[in-house]
Amino acid sequence: MKRALVVLIVLGVFVGLFLLVGPFYIVEEGEQVIVIRFGQIVSEEQDAGLKFKIPFVDNVVRYSKKILSWDGDPRRVPTAENQFIWVDTTARWRIANPSRFYSSVTTMEQAYSRLDDIIESAVRTVIAANGIVEAVRNSNIINTIDRAAPLDGALSDESAGLAEIQNLLTIVDAQPEIAKGRRMLSQEMFEDVSETTPRFGIELIDIVIRQIRYSDDLTESVYNRMVSERQQIAQAYRSFGEGRKQELLGQLENDKRAILSRAYEEAEGIRGLADAEAASIYSEAYSQNAEFFEFWRALESYKKVIPSLDKVITTDMEYFDYLYDKDGN
Amino acid sequence: MAEFKLPGFLRKSNMIVIVVVVVLIIVLALSSLFVVDQTEESIVLLFGEYSRTVGPGLHLKLPLGIETSENVPTQIIQNMSFGFRTERPGINTVFSNVDFPEESIMLTGDLNIVDVEWIIQYRIEDPRAWLFNVEDKDTTIRDISQSIVNQLVGDRSIIDILSDERPNIEFFAQESMNEIFDNYKLGIEITAVRLQNIVPPVGRVQDSFEDVNRAVQDMNRLINEGREAYNKEIPRTRGEGEQLVKIAEGYATERVNRARGDADRFLSVLSEYNQDPLTMRSRLYYEILEEVLPKEGTTRVLDRGIDTAIPFFNFLPNTSTLNQEGTQ
Repeated sequence: MKRALVVLIVLGVFVGLFLLVGPFYIVEEGEQVIVIRFGQIVSEEQDAGLKFKIPFVDNVVRYSKKILSWDGDPRRVPTAENQFIWVDTTARWRIANPSRFYSSVTTMEQAYSRLDDIIESAVRTVIAANGIVEAVRNSNIINTIDRAAPLDGALSDESAGLAEIQNLLTIVDAQPEIAKGRRMLSQEMFEDVSETTPRFGIELIDIVIRQIRYSDDLTESVYNRMVSERQQIAQAYRSFGEGRKQELLGQLENDKRAILSRAYEEAEGIRGLADAEAASIYSEAYSQNAEFFEFWRALESYKKVIPSLDKVITTDMEYFDYLYDKDGN
Repeated sequence: MAEFKLPGFLRKSNMIVIVVVVVLIIVLALSSLFVVDQTEESIVLLFGEYSRTVGPGLHLKLPLGIETSENVPTQIIQNMSFGFRTERPGINTVFSNVDFPEESIMLTGDLNIVDVEWIIQYRIEDPRAWLFNVEDKDTTIRDISQSIVNQLVGDRSIIDILSDERPNIEFFAQESMNEIFDNYKLGIEITAVRLQNIVPPVGRVQDSFEDVNRAVQDMNRLINEGREAYNKEIPRTRGEGEQLVKIAEGYATERVNRARGDADRFLSVLSEYNQDPLTMRSRLYYEILEEVLPKEGTTRVLDRGIDTAIPFFNFLPNTSTLNQEGTQ
């Protein structure tokens, strides 16, 4: 029994050793391997599972089958207008042909360094051949977006000058139309790079522009432009308000005069009518006996006027006739 | 074999075998059982090859690494933020003070600069695709999200981005990201893109944008001042006008009434006069003179026979006597 046990243990150790160095290896999902025998590639495995090889002789090199990222540093690149912008691109790629990949670049580091070189040069070429707006924008949608005119509905009434101020406040000037746009530029880079990558067993999936920024000196001048644009708009609002205020004050003066003069007109009209009516009342009454009116009116007038005069009268008056003669002659 | 031997043998060396066997069983059991949480699904691989996907609960697999399993949280909505980071979420979420301008500073379509912060939320939809199709998943999601938002912002003017275009950017960003990730077979679904802070660059640019808002306030204030002055003055002026008219109306009433009064009196007197004109005339004449002539101290009477009054009176203006008399 003891011997049998020893045999069993020895056998177990052998099997274990065999398995350890052994003819089996595992390919995981998302992996691909190539088998190298004496420096030569003898087979490629794409499918996951348990695989067989010759122990000690065959060497297994594993690569990822998944989509890989490439992330370059942002690059300061001149555009067609010779303005410098920072362009940050990333790309996705995969090892499509592991055998060629092994023979041409072997390691991932090598692969990244190749990608760095070709993609960067493609980015430079494409950006330098196009204007900045082609890289920034992707479509001409900016010119078709509906915008409410500024101040619409902000003012309850009126008024002349509103259209004018709205013109001043135009939020977005018409922008130049673009011919290609960002996605097309990415596509151009992609095509450029795709020509080269199959040589390394690499399939490029896409190149995207992750970010575009102005270079620092350009940023400063853009800030200045933005500030002055805003200042001009703020100024337009303020002076419009000032103008409206003056307009209202003028309106006030105008309305005031109109109201007072209309009242004057009405008052004088009323007075005139009353005078006329009074005159007609008088004349209707007095015309009944003009001769008596003369007498009456004279007496009335004397009554008013004479008491306030300093008087020296002569007895020549008819009044004194009886003073000299009882018959009044 | 052990059964035929003595219990003594058991007690001796077989004890070791039993311990080994028990340990082996425990190891086997532990390496073949696994738990999947309610929020997860699990992928089981046989010799590295996909075998099956299992849901929540306790599951069995072949031991000793023949089958391996990996749990993937498929129910949890995951967050990724751009331009800022959340330090400690909670009722009072703490945000990191560090900004990430390299993520958030962008060019707009009218070549201005804007600072956009946003988040995306996603859920792993297909755990198998998630595990095996893309290598640098977080980097990929970040890269594409940034690129898409950059592109959408680059297509619009800064004013639109700051106001009305927000929801459009969110909508299109979500749509394009899903399209791209589907192409990669990444196995995730973007459930939301939310723009957070969209501001002009901090500093004088932001100040100038705020100054425009103040200018609008100023404009409204000025207009209101104008209206106020108008509303203050005009009703008062209307009152003044009314007053003028009322005064005139008073005058008119008075004038007409007086005329009527005078006329009535005249007519009454006239009707008497017509009865006996001669006597009436004389009576009136004398009445009036009686009323008019007397005035104490001032009235002098000259006889009709005297031709001139000059010897008697000094009409020269410098005599004080006359002046005194005149003022009495």
